[in-house]
Amino acid sequence: MVLRLRKFLDELLDVLREDYPKQLSRLIKDANGLTYLQVLDKERAVITVRNRKIAIASKARKDEINVRVYISKSCLFDVLEGKLTLAEAFETGELRVFGSPQTLLRCYAIWERVISLARTSPRFYFLTYELR
Amino acid sequence: MLSSRLEDVSWVDAFSLPSVFDSRLPLYKEWHDFVFFDRKTKVFGLLNFAVHGNPYDGRRGYGAALAFLVGPGDKVHTALKLIPLRKLTVSPYNPEFIAEEVAVSYSGDSFTIKGKIDDVSLDLVVPVMLPPVTMNQIGLDILAKNQVNMGMLGAAAEMARIWDKWVELPRLSVVGTIRAPGTVYKVDTKTGYQDHEGGRFDWGSVMGWDTGVLLCDPARPGEPERVSFLFYRYGHSGESSYGGIIVKTAGGGEKFFGSEKITSTKSGEFTGERAYLPGVTRLLYPDYQPRVPAKTVYSAADSLDTLEIAFTPRAVCTIVVSGVSNEGETTFNEMCCSAALKATIEGKTYDKLIPCWFESVRPRGRFDDPWS
Repeated sequence: MVLRLRKFLDELLDVLREDYPKQLSRLIKDANGLTYLQVLDKERAVITVRNRKIAIASKARKDEINVRVYISKSCLFDVLEGKLTLAEAFETGELRVFGSPQTLLRCYAIWERVISLARTSPRFYFLTYELR
Repeated sequence: MLSSRLEDVSWVDAFSLPSVFDSRLPLYKEWHDFVFFDRKTKVFGLLNFAVHGNPYDGRRGYGAALAFLVGPGDKVHTALKLIPLRKLTVSPYNPEFIAEEVAVSYSGDSFTIKGKIDDVSLDLVVPVMLPPVTMNQIGLDILAKNQVNMGMLGAAAEMARIWDKWVELPRLSVVGTIRAPGTVYKVDTKTGYQDHEGGRFDWGSVMGWDTGVLLCDPARPGEPERVSFLFYRYGHSGESSYGGIIVKTAGGGEKFFGSEKITSTKSGEFTGERAYLPGVTRLLYPDYQPRVPAKTVYSAADSLDTLEIAFTPRAVCTIVVSGVSNEGETTFNEMCCSAALKATIEGKTYDKLIPCWFESVRPRGRFDDPWS
């Protein structure tokens, strides 16, 4: 059965708490103040990082959201599998990102660290593929 | 050369799973590499079936199957699939690697490789044609016939530190069909090869090596039985290296050229077909393209015997693996090459272009290493 986006994010947090607690603390520190809307195909999840805590919800007040990322599942897996570069995904419009440049740069650094962690964690990998 | 028998493949080439009490279980890794080239259809294949991490921890250990194929016109296909341990069976009693979607089975001195690695389908029968050879056998043979030197001992100590297992099946027949998106490749060759390695180490602690095999067909006039090479880097920052080239003649003779008798030159830069694995490497390092020489030449001379091999890569697959306990990463450049062999061994002259598998491994992105 395909995993839902919010359930995926909850389980991902569990993996990070269990296997990468130090890296998770660092990620939370770097992401403090972010309210991040992730849209994957038609599913939505809001990740809020405040006061050293991460919360995952289905919605948030519009004026609270400072990053919005829209991506299709097929595009996500094409990017993860190296079939599509980020630049190509932006060009085709399959990946759309909204936010202030400074916030987006912060997010990029966080994504990079999460993806780097994912390479050493089969739990992370298999969990991600349950989204497909 | 010490000998073993075809009947020994089943246990010599089996997976050497560590004890459940081993303190380095998370660093365990072991794999089969099947390599072949069909000269008629011009298809090269490297198939890797591996177990990584604690094999008793279903959440942190995993299996992996990888394919690097090069078709006519140097068209490259790659595929990599991770396999949960609950869907994988390996055993210390045979070389089998049985997963749901792809399986390597072994029966009657022959492997069967069947199933899918992502979008690459395999249906291959792989009879073993020569008995297995182990790292110990090769090492003892070299030590018995050559003067021991510090380089030999340094490399041997490093290899013993890293590898618990190192087995080669020097000749395989490979027959069957491979389907990649938009293409069907037929393979029928007697120039296949398998190596099987395993150890409990972190990739960040490895300085790398250059190794490979000329996929010789001794039934063709003017080709030796086999040519293989290994140069191992060791020392704190990989500043030392030792290795050699072994040439086996069709008449049963064998010649070892050690590093002290070999000069190596690299020239140009490879600009042909490349692939990167895992795919996420391109996302993390969009501009990463490790330099690969357009030509690497090994020349050696020892009394009346001479040897020159010029390697020209046709296609390269760069695989980046990350360490577990630190941020070190290791780059594997897997290459399908043509090797121009010019040699005179025991009075017999060889002058042939032979397909070759070349693997160059080094720490990724080292500032003092222009090829990393």
